[in-house]
Amino acid sequence: MRRMSVFPQHGTALETLGLTANEIRQEVENKTSELVSDLVNLSAGGRFQAIRSLPMSFNERKTIRNRVNSVKLSKTILSADCRQQVSRSFRRFRASLASARQHLVVWQDTLKEIGGRFGTSVLSYFLFLKWLLKFNLFSFLINFCFITIPQIVHAPNISSVTGFRGLELLTGVGYFNQTVLFYGGYNGEVIVSTPAYNMQLAYFFTIAAYLVLCGVSLIYSMSRSFQNNFVLETGPVSGGAWRLLCSWDFGVVNEKAIQYNKNNLGIQLKESLSERLQEKNKTSLSDRIKRLSLHLLAWLLSLGLALGSGAGIYFLGTDKLTFNFDNDPNDLKAEASTLLLPVVVSLINLIVPLLYSLISKMESYSNPRAQIYISIIRNVVLKMSLLGILCFYWLNFVPNKISCWESFVGQSVYRLLIIDFIFCLIGIFFGEFLRNVIGTMCIQSLGVPEFDIARNVLDLIYAQTLAWIGIYFSPLLPVMQVLKLFIIFYLKKISLSMNCQPPKHTGRAAQIQTVFIALLFFPSFVGTLSMVAFTVWRLRPSDQCGPFQGLDTPFYAIFNWIDSIQDPPESKWVWWIFENVLRSELFYYLITLIILVITFFLWQITQGRKQLIKTLREQIVNEGKDKVFLLNKLQTIQKQRREMASYIPQDFDQTTHFNTNWMSTLPFEM
Amino acid sequence: MGGTASKLPKDLLSEYQELTFLTKQEILLAHKRFSELQGRENGPYSSRVSMEKVLTLPELKSNPFRKRICHVFSTSDLRDGSLTFEDFLDLLSAFSDSATLEIKSHYAFRIFDFDDDGTLDARDLEKLVNCLTGETDDTRLTVEEMRQLISNILEESDIDKDGTVNLSEFQHVISRSPDFVSSFKIVL
Repeated sequence: MRRMSVFPQHGTALETLGLTANEIRQEVENKTSELVSDLVNLSAGGRFQAIRSLPMSFNERKTIRNRVNSVKLSKTILSADCRQQVSRSFRRFRASLASARQHLVVWQDTLKEIGGRFGTSVLSYFLFLKWLLKFNLFSFLINFCFITIPQIVHAPNISSVTGFRGLELLTGVGYFNQTVLFYGGYNGEVIVSTPAYNMQLAYFFTIAAYLVLCGVSLIYSMSRSFQNNFVLETGPVSGGAWRLLCSWDFGVVNEKAIQYNKNNLGIQLKESLSERLQEKNKTSLSDRIKRLSLHLLAWLLSLGLALGSGAGIYFLGTDKLTFNFDNDPNDLKAEASTLLLPVVVSLINLIVPLLYSLISKMESYSNPRAQIYISIIRNVVLKMSLLGILCFYWLNFVPNKISCWESFVGQSVYRLLIIDFIFCLIGIFFGEFLRNVIGTMCIQSLGVPEFDIARNVLDLIYAQTLAWIGIYFSPLLPVMQVLKLFIIFYLKKISLSMNCQPPKHTGRAAQIQTVFIALLFFPSFVGTLSMVAFTVWRLRPSDQCGPFQGLDTPFYAIFNWIDSIQDPPESKWVWWIFENVLRSELFYYLITLIILVITFFLWQITQGRKQLIKTLREQIVNEGKDKVFLLNKLQTIQKQRREMASYIPQDFDQTTHFNTNWMSTLPFEM
Repeated sequence: MGGTASKLPKDLLSEYQELTFLTKQEILLAHKRFSELQGRENGPYSSRVSMEKVLTLPELKSNPFRKRICHVFSTSDLRDGSLTFEDFLDLLSAFSDSATLEIKSHYAFRIFDFDDDGTLDARDLEKLVNCLTGETDDTRLTVEEMRQLISNILEESDIDKDGTVNLSEFQHVISRSPDFVSSFKIVL
């Protein structure tokens, strides 16, 4: 679409070019009517968006809109009128929906305050937290409605042998053992009502639906984020331009924060300048070998640490399993000892990342972004190897040794979540509060701690993975996660405003945000999905408790159901679909083939676009050359004309200066 | 107007909604804040609020570009940076969440274009750097550094090599920085 250029502002200067006021007015009028006719041809929704996006003042936009409307009105045919009415009411409806949604936004003021003091990058942590909170709230709602309420209404299954003692809050056993908090509290009976409510199916489909919805919304937000933030790196990038032109955070309103940001930006600009100078004198071979071996050593060390802690957890887990749980429900000591494993896991999660940051201090990265990504990769490897070992242990050893093993796994996940929460609180107190006290009172050189976004987000991802893993074994686990996130939000906010200062290197926050969503999807969600799928397809559910008792694998519930609906002929098609589509290899083979073909086409299109971008870029450069040439020509002609008319030349520089501007305001027609 | 001004006529409100990126709540809030500013104005009622008054808003008070922002959005013939309510809405609309990248980059360009000549030349960039860096000695850039920085920026972003950054080149730089949309934001 054509856009209004800004040139009417320089009316007086245009006159010196030989254009009369009338000609200018004519030109502007032509432009405007062109714009109006462009706008008239758009659909109603697109037209409003386009008028809104015109870079003009309010009254100018209003004039344009009125002209568009009058043209539209003169063209309107009766049949189109109805459609217009519909589209208008639809637009109204959307606007009212948007304003209703704004009422529902929680924490708006808090978020604004955080953004105003600490900038967008810290704000993104809190937005991520809020997003996770919504996920868990949703999961809690569907689990509660479709699994827990029917179970409670049908048969309150609480046959607790022990009273409430308080330790249960930490361990999840004892009083909670037979409650609806865990898998064991459900039974797979068909609730007799019209229509009958099959608990097995409800349990299966609720969990499956939740995981599918999670997957879909993750893929959606990931692709949205990629679309917005994925940047083609073209041309030289030293960071100077974007740092100066696009990195200023207009949302920051706090006076001190602005001063701080200004100082930081100054230092960063200086750093990038000196780096650029250094880059010019190449590093010698011995230096490079030295650096490479340092990197290698650091990687070996960090992978060794991850492996070592994984092995430690494995031995601790298998060792602890030797004593029996079901023996004595009143043995407090045995119950408390179950907390050992989660405490060790959380300790590893707390200490090893600190060691990693020490290791990365040892290496020297020229690129701060590379440093951030590498530290993220190491931390993810650590956390995922811990969780992987735990899952392996839960799925391989636990099912054979413990009678109600699903509940046991649920309780283990519950303990891990609770202890992780406690460690998070400790981290806020010791890591941020005490560090601040030490930094300001005792050792001034340490300074006020920075808010480490990467570490905090990775902690959130870890906790969310746990919550997902636990969802099959403990359907009400999202409640704990919701409470936890809620408390963390406020504590982090308080701790942030009291103890921390905004991070120094804030660049490229949006790209890191994309990485975090991708991490939440790839190791975390995909891992959880495969673990739950393995449990459902392969593992024998426990015989004494749970909705799937007596079946070979939980998935047999579906087979039984399909067999049962084969009888009434009207629902035979469901059976047919199940047998011939979902259970046939050919179907999956075809699907895979189609997806591969589509991927290939999309890849080809991407390649084509890249080529196009390159060509367009060259075209811009050429047009620039053309422009310079034409300007020179214009100047010579002007000069000649002036000499001929013996016109007293004005400030020549001024004119050329203006000419450049006039040309550049013309939009590139690409 | 004064205190009773918090009521906006319904048709005006829907017009504002139609022509800006703001939602109903945002417009009403903007109107409330704006009439507070007007209320403090001494003397006879005027539809314009002077730049000094606008800059008392906490959202703009400490912004290093506060004067530029007022000048860019002002439609005053006197070029004094005073704002009418419509100008004020334009400002908030451009800085709102739902404004498009295009409109944001357009206004960012005009804010950074200190001499209003339609391009960012070396002088504009120098002023920009001075606005954005601290005043202390260790953060202030030396003359040599400034020269180096500006030549770096031009080398990076001046695609057609005419010595200045024009609007489309500016938008090209911004398209490579996805953070811009989230940071070019002022919320009342």
